[in-house]
Amino acid sequence: MATIAQPKGVLVDLTKCIGCRSCQIACKSWNGRSVKKTVQNGTFTNPVDMNSEAYTVVKFVETEKDNMISSWDFIKTQCMHCKDPACVSACPVGAFEKKPNGPVNYISERCIGCRYCMMACPFNVPKYEWEKISPIVQKCTFCSDRQEEGLPPACVKACAPKALYFGNYDDVVAEAERRIKENPGKYVDHIYGKDEAGGTSWMYISGVPFEQLGFKTNIPNVALPTLSWAMLKTIPMKVGGLITILAAIAYIRNRGNSGGGSASSKNEKEG
Amino acid sequence: MTNHWIDLRNADVILVMGSNPAENHPISMKWILKAKERGAKLIVVDPRFTRTASKADLYAPLRSGTDIAFLGGMIKYILDNNLYFREYVAKYTNASFLVNPDFKGPGELDGLFSGYDAKTRKYDKKAWSFQMDENGIPKKDPTLKDKNCVFQLLKKHYSRYTLDKVSSITGTPKDKLIEVYKLYASTGKPNRVGTECYAMGWTQHTVGTQNIRAMAIIQLLLGNIGMPGGGINAMRGESNVQGSTDYGLLFHILPGYLPTPTASLANLKGYIEKHTPTTKDPKSVNWWGNRGKYITSYLKAIYGPHATKENDFGYAWLPKLDEGMNASWLMLFDQMLKGKFEGFFAWGQNPACSGANANKTRKALSKLKWMVNVNLFDNETASFWRGPGMNPKEVQTEVFMLPCCSSVEKEGSISNSGRWAQWRYKAIEPIGQSKPDAEIINELYYRVKRLYQEKGGTYPAPIVNLTWNYGHKGPDGKIKEVNVHEIAKEINGYYLDDVYDKKANPPALLGKKGELCATFVHLQDDGTTSSGNWIYCQSYTQKDGKITNMMARRKKTDPTGLGLYPEWAWSWPVNRRIIYNRASVDPEGRPWDPNRPLLSWNPAKLDPKTNKPGVWEGDVPDGPAPPYNNEKGKYPFIMRADGMGALFGPGLNDGPFPEHYEALECPLQENIMSKQRINPAVKMFFAEGGKNLEDVYLSCDIRFPYVGTTYRVSEHWQTGVMTRHVPWLLEAMPQQFVEMSEELAREKGIKSGDKVTVKSARGEVWAIAVVTKRFKPFKVAGSTVHQVGLPWHFGWQFPEDGSGGDSSNLLTPTIGDANTMIPESKAFMVNIEKAKA
Repeated sequence: MATIAQPKGVLVDLTKCIGCRSCQIACKSWNGRSVKKTVQNGTFTNPVDMNSEAYTVVKFVETEKDNMISSWDFIKTQCMHCKDPACVSACPVGAFEKKPNGPVNYISERCIGCRYCMMACPFNVPKYEWEKISPIVQKCTFCSDRQEEGLPPACVKACAPKALYFGNYDDVVAEAERRIKENPGKYVDHIYGKDEAGGTSWMYISGVPFEQLGFKTNIPNVALPTLSWAMLKTIPMKVGGLITILAAIAYIRNRGNSGGGSASSKNEKEG
Repeated sequence: MTNHWIDLRNADVILVMGSNPAENHPISMKWILKAKERGAKLIVVDPRFTRTASKADLYAPLRSGTDIAFLGGMIKYILDNNLYFREYVAKYTNASFLVNPDFKGPGELDGLFSGYDAKTRKYDKKAWSFQMDENGIPKKDPTLKDKNCVFQLLKKHYSRYTLDKVSSITGTPKDKLIEVYKLYASTGKPNRVGTECYAMGWTQHTVGTQNIRAMAIIQLLLGNIGMPGGGINAMRGESNVQGSTDYGLLFHILPGYLPTPTASLANLKGYIEKHTPTTKDPKSVNWWGNRGKYITSYLKAIYGPHATKENDFGYAWLPKLDEGMNASWLMLFDQMLKGKFEGFFAWGQNPACSGANANKTRKALSKLKWMVNVNLFDNETASFWRGPGMNPKEVQTEVFMLPCCSSVEKEGSISNSGRWAQWRYKAIEPIGQSKPDAEIINELYYRVKRLYQEKGGTYPAPIVNLTWNYGHKGPDGKIKEVNVHEIAKEINGYYLDDVYDKKANPPALLGKKGELCATFVHLQDDGTTSSGNWIYCQSYTQKDGKITNMMARRKKTDPTGLGLYPEWAWSWPVNRRIIYNRASVDPEGRPWDPNRPLLSWNPAKLDPKTNKPGVWEGDVPDGPAPPYNNEKGKYPFIMRADGMGALFGPGLNDGPFPEHYEALECPLQENIMSKQRINPAVKMFFAEGGKNLEDVYLSCDIRFPYVGTTYRVSEHWQTGVMTRHVPWLLEAMPQQFVEMSEELAREKGIKSGDKVTVKSARGEVWAIAVVTKRFKPFKVAGSTVHQVGLPWHFGWQFPEDGSGGDSSNLLTPTIGDANTMIPESKAFMVNIEKAKA
């Protein structure tokens, strides 16, 4: 049953995450993702980063103090689902759309493979299917399909220690503020994602300063499309011609794909 | 668990030692984190900083195999600083009991207790006994001052566990020891409760049972047993391992913890006499006094009408162990290697990877004539004959594969660590030719029975006389499809006749012939009741003709507010959610902590059954008797003959108090505590003369300088047979790895991601190095000791390209705990070298 679209958000409370990676696996399961063969790379993080088959990856970060381990954090990474996403405005063919209830969705049929989105995203989220003949861009969908049925994202549902808190955006912000206020000394006084890039649907609170955990802390607190448009305006007009050619290629490619459809991996599972 | 998973949220201090709940029992962290939200503190003691440690308020490292030293130091700290719960200790434990004056401990006998025989490696426990008064009740000194009382002996024994010695043994810095002791001992007050979570990190040692005993002593001293948020909680390593233990999976017990009969106990009377403890103390319930009812009802369940008074209820048909015979895991494979077995059912297991000293296990399999592998997948056991180092031409073992279906493809009950039996339903049909285990057993039963009937054979009675009423029988007399509800009902048990309470006047009807038994309190020793497993009696009931599967209940009411959820599923015994709960109240029956009332005695309220005043409110009490101080009151520890929590535990093979001994393989020449380096009561497999080479061990040997341990990770399960076949999980944890400190890696010139070889005296595996700050070298006896750790999830058979590596049990030794024979997989010695390119 569809619910009235209210912007949703998720709070990742790093003090509650136990690094079990149920979210990483639940995401694969729900979204029908396959695997890219990995090797043990000397850490627990695997795959080493998000890729076209891994919409969410937990990163394991050790912090030390006085030559002793002081914390081991598990940072779930996925699309942040910006309020005003740079990918949406950077895409010349409208292959990304921001839904009123939060998800930034990707429409593969429109994609021309220019990968501007990848350059525009401040969090390095969209990933390209480099190894495929007809590649498309892949990223977390915020389980838009589940949300339409009134269900939480698969990762949230799978989180046993309740490190992921899903709800209406305003409630999520309030919950983050409450946790910081009511537990003095437990958290650093910052909600990552509340203001970064003009605000994102996914937000983090942590007991360890974000810069120590590998978060990008130099992202301006303004919506990025304003900046990216400023940049794109400097690209000469001839690029317009290129876009037309790319669009034509995309059309031909998508025509060839219709009927097969496995690469587009639209979620056909039942909830 | 004495308590249950949800109850972890009620604790004030949670000690995680010998387990790693965040990685191996992730759901439990939900409740541990809830406790933390209430202000509870989490302590993690582990050789390495685990995912659980990442959530700890206090982390302390210790060298694998030194838990008793660590806990012994805590006992000393509690006693020295008078932090114990005085009234609880004096009244609810055997602290006041006077011990035989001949008893001597390791302080006097240099590491041994009285009665040791070095030849047999066994103790004569005569001196480990209590002084009895003229009525046959243990003599007591309520002031706890008598030099022979348990309390004083405990003090004397642990006075040797000084901070210096403990730190020197464990490698735990002294300040960390004090921090842990202080925080945990803060729960010795009535209004503070501490709980302990352990798993294989405590059991898989030559002193495994005593590790847990040491904690039991601490919990009794602090008054934490029986309390909500307290107890000692075994986090079972498999989802239904509690159930399998309850149902007699192990060689020494029948269902319901009834001892396996031995050959010298020729008849039922002899069995009951031997295994039924007695007490002359009127205040002791001595619940095991009912043994006769439980074994008789068990025999009636399995042999039905064939079990009669005249034939001793078929007792003779039960298999018997030879006197002193040990048929534990290590012994089975030892005997298999010696060619003592023809065949073997490897049912839902993968011994080629899970068993300690896997090379020995794999070799043992080659001595079999046949093996049946019942599993979801082919595995290292089924395919052992084509495994590394095997020449298929030389292996004569014929292997059969019976595909069984997974838990979601069948209906039945599952018993979790908290003793909750929960019913679950079939979600999907079994895939391919796979069948539920019960169907496979059903098929086997009819075929074996037919062979006996048609061809005869030695002693067919135990098979042909079995009851087998598990579903609709076809015209050929065979059950086509097993109905698991019928099995569950047989386990619960029936009234086989109208059964009366003969103590009442006139005798009151307890249950009508043919109905399901209401409770094990009604079970009889005259053959008028049956119960396949007495502790599960009440799990499937019948009231006013209505039959209820109690395990399928799903009501979320929580009348106490403590998360007992008494109408969700069913918990043994008799739906009691926290066992020994009579110890949660003072002698008047008032909760020690009024803010956490698990149980309280209401002296005014009328008991609906007897119509007399006085009832317990809250959890199902450990027996309906009034509280301790009442004239008819009873002691709280009803499963013990003397009714008391055992600080002094004379029942074990290796001593009434836990004593620190080193692991079979350790980095030290000598035990800092005494002249006994290893547990003097363990069975030795390796003859010093150089026989039994596969059981070789090398302790304090320069060739194997590093302590090794094994463990599991969140992403895989057990030997990985189920999880290695899930590509998503394999992607997350693809290969065998070994974790080590940066210091050791520097010494050895190893970098994270390098391929290395890990060797022990018995075998070797390759692994990828994970160099981490989470392992630190230990300062032990003034020297630096390094430890490394490997998961045991991998095996050569899958992934088929061999990219996963092989089992770390190729490294572990053949040695077991002195009481249980659980293999010592958690502490052994290895070497590590960068693999040749």
